[in-house]
Amino acid sequence: MSDQKPLRIVGQPVERADAHAKVTGRARYTVDLAKPGMLHAKVLRSPHAHARVVSVDIAAAAAMPGVRAVTTGPQLAEWVAMPVYGYFIKDQPILAMDRVRYEGDMVAAVAADTEAQANAALALIRVEYAALPDLPDIDAALDTDAPDLFPETPRGVVPPYGQGASAQLWPRKNVCYAFRYASGNASVFERCDHVFDDEFRFSRMNHLHLEPFVCVAEWREGDEIEVVTSCQNPFPLRKEIARIFRLAESRISVKVPFVGGGFGAKNNCKTEPIALVLSKMTGRPVRFCMTMEEGFLTNTQHAAVLKLKTGVMADGTLVARQSHILLDSGAYSDASPLVAEKAGYRVSGPYRYQHVESLCECVLTTTTPAGPYRGFGGTQATWASESQIDMIARRLGLDPMEMRLKNLVALHEPWMPGESGVDSDMAEGLALVAEEIGYDRPRDAAPGWSRGRGLAIGFKDGGGVNKPAQARVKVSTGGDIHLMCGTVEIGQGARTALAQVVAEILGAPLARVEYLPLDTRYTPFDQGTNASSAITVMGQAVQRAAVSVRNQVLQMAAEHLGTDAAALELEDWTIRHGNEAHPLAPMIMHIYGGTGFEFTGDGFHKQANDHQAPLETKSVFWEIGWAGVDLSVDRETGQVKIHALAVSGDAGRAIHRLVCRGQDEGAALMGLGQALFEQMVYDGSRLINGEALMYRVPLAEDLPDRFTSILQEQGHGPGPFGAKGMGEGTMLPVPPAIANAIEDAVGVRIRDLPLTPERILSAIVAAQG
Amino acid sequence: MSLISKDGALRVAFTLNGRETTVETVTSRVLSDLLRDDMNLKGTRVSCGRTVCGACSVLVDGFPRAACSTFAFEVEGRDVQTIEGVEAPDGTLDPVQAAFAAKSAFQCGFCTSGMILLAKSLLATHPDPDRATIIAWISSNICRCTGYELIVEAVQDAARAMREGPKS
Repeated sequence: MSDQKPLRIVGQPVERADAHAKVTGRARYTVDLAKPGMLHAKVLRSPHAHARVVSVDIAAAAAMPGVRAVTTGPQLAEWVAMPVYGYFIKDQPILAMDRVRYEGDMVAAVAADTEAQANAALALIRVEYAALPDLPDIDAALDTDAPDLFPETPRGVVPPYGQGASAQLWPRKNVCYAFRYASGNASVFERCDHVFDDEFRFSRMNHLHLEPFVCVAEWREGDEIEVVTSCQNPFPLRKEIARIFRLAESRISVKVPFVGGGFGAKNNCKTEPIALVLSKMTGRPVRFCMTMEEGFLTNTQHAAVLKLKTGVMADGTLVARQSHILLDSGAYSDASPLVAEKAGYRVSGPYRYQHVESLCECVLTTTTPAGPYRGFGGTQATWASESQIDMIARRLGLDPMEMRLKNLVALHEPWMPGESGVDSDMAEGLALVAEEIGYDRPRDAAPGWSRGRGLAIGFKDGGGVNKPAQARVKVSTGGDIHLMCGTVEIGQGARTALAQVVAEILGAPLARVEYLPLDTRYTPFDQGTNASSAITVMGQAVQRAAVSVRNQVLQMAAEHLGTDAAALELEDWTIRHGNEAHPLAPMIMHIYGGTGFEFTGDGFHKQANDHQAPLETKSVFWEIGWAGVDLSVDRETGQVKIHALAVSGDAGRAIHRLVCRGQDEGAALMGLGQALFEQMVYDGSRLINGEALMYRVPLAEDLPDRFTSILQEQGHGPGPFGAKGMGEGTMLPVPPAIANAIEDAVGVRIRDLPLTPERILSAIVAAQG
Repeated sequence: MSLISKDGALRVAFTLNGRETTVETVTSRVLSDLLRDDMNLKGTRVSCGRTVCGACSVLVDGFPRAACSTFAFEVEGRDVQTIEGVEAPDGTLDPVQAAFAAKSAFQCGFCTSGMILLAKSLLATHPDPDRATIIAWISSNICRCTGYELIVEAVQDAARAMREGPKS
């Protein structure tokens, strides 16, 4: 930007663009949509974790009142070209073909006039199963005697990787993907003063987005498709639909209204293929809305086992780290290969090493498929990494904060060979949270309790890998601004922030910018709303589109006024030329005549391809979350009382401070739940708390006594006006910061999440011998 | 039951957002379906469907109820307020709505209708609630996005605005 003027809209406390719609209840989500003649879909789910499907009898169900269509996996061949989908590996059937692989796998689907009729029909479908041994967890799946979950290997692809990175499909039984990264020489381990081996376990959470998985699909005459869906990545979804039904993408309209939360879950196919099949069968619109209980059976975070071997000098200088991560991918690959890439890549954290080597494997088990989840592998990696850093510091008799400061990658220093430079001063953030929680203050505690403080830094590459984004800005004769881009408003504030960028550049009031409804037939291409990418990737595309429009307008005005565009300024759809003001509408009517004109600017952004970069593009930005915790532990019960939780993120430049704050606080509280109590509990392969009452998420009453988020604006971001992405960073460091504070308080180290009183108490008892 | 008329239909008469309303429905109809599907009042959101998350909260005689788990016939003779009835007839936002908007005390917005009604119910009886009271009160509802802190602050802001009265 050439503008040196003070910013009018960026960074100002403007009201969010979606505020009025959301506080009045007028906001419309996919779940609100109804169409004339619409049918309702319901699916029959497997009661077995692993079984052969011997036969399915749908005759009685099909004869039920109100039932318009019933289908099963083997019958899909009549309606689809490809009955399977998946990100890198096409292994997940739309409906089970000959085998079910987890409790909840979908076996048959019904469309009926009402949901009640559809449910009644499901009860009459007779399925004969032949049970097979289940694989409830990573250890069971890797056992030499374990059955093969996929006797016939599904096809898949490995994306291109650059310096030091590689991956392999199906490297061993029940492992669908293995990612490797290495840098430097392993021989440096030999001259380390100490080498520490530690193992950590990470439990899995459900996303618990409040708007369910839902779509309304309509297969129209002439093979035209419209799908309105609660989805984070409409363009990749369009590609999957085109492949499944062998249809041109130009015949597919994927529309996304407001989305009621996703946190990663709403990527790729969920409800859409089944709804489309049923619509194609019946010629009527079909709504498929899952219950919250079904949500638990659809997508989860990855549980993990992480083994770290870290070599260090006696003074605390980190030298080398080797990591082996096993992700519990559940029954289908879903986004596991991508999560493995990130967990494997990020596991060395924000520190400088001479050698790192990591292997991350995706292990298939007979549980709910795991997929994208806020933090995307970084959460698992940070849990292990930041726990071990603290443990090493204590073993060496060093202060954990000092040891961190000694090893942090410096501002602008490439994180790994071939990578972009780190765009935050990480020591600055650490000092802020340490100060906020009184890191050095005396550790006073109530009788029977012990006080402790802990720190951690979450570190991830941000903005997505190889992620293109396109945007279009149109301004009509009277100065009404149309912003067209594929970023989904999922709550993160993208409509507001991107509109602020456009209004700033065009010198327009924010209210003039309309964020147009997302429809893949008309909206410019975008890879998806994920990876905290909206402001840095889409933001740059939007910025370029707006600058293009401004330049066109100034050029037109300069020619009309017989001057140079550089002498002109655009302000509230008026050209300023020294002391003169020329309203644009009459000028445009004069030049273009008729009913006027529309200026259109296109913008595109993608980080450049770069084979020197490990993931083929340098990280767009670095998303860093700092956390500090002050707590007490009841030595009698293992109960934890959090006195203060301080988190911090670096927005680079905050386009909207309250929106940034909300992202940091929401992510931190999700991390607090992960740390202390929230988890999906399995009895073997059976999920036993997969519904709202039994599955505990953080409530307001779980807020710590003091909960502070410190918004930094260090100014080094690549996005418009120096912005960086937000929204995931502060989730990552919270669980290890709490575990570190617990060790500080009572001298025991908990390596498994969540940090329950039972675990803490038994560790205290064990330590007392 | 007296709600059943001579022709066998279930008629429920209640006050909805200040207006006398009579609906013909069936005994199995829950309030959230009646509002959303029969009356097109989509601002009442349904998430868990079993009284846990609070997204579907409406006010019945001024107190929050989970519309997903309240039968339509239960509101016979009662006063029901939904999010659609919170703003003034001229479209002026209620102080609670205005505070949520100004504070960005929402993200995806799916819990927002319920949270606003919850806050209104609290402030009707506690014009100056302390932080602990607000936290206890809103802990009946799940917000998965915000981390609650901005919601607590918005309720405090709304309380202050209501005590100070409308600005001239």
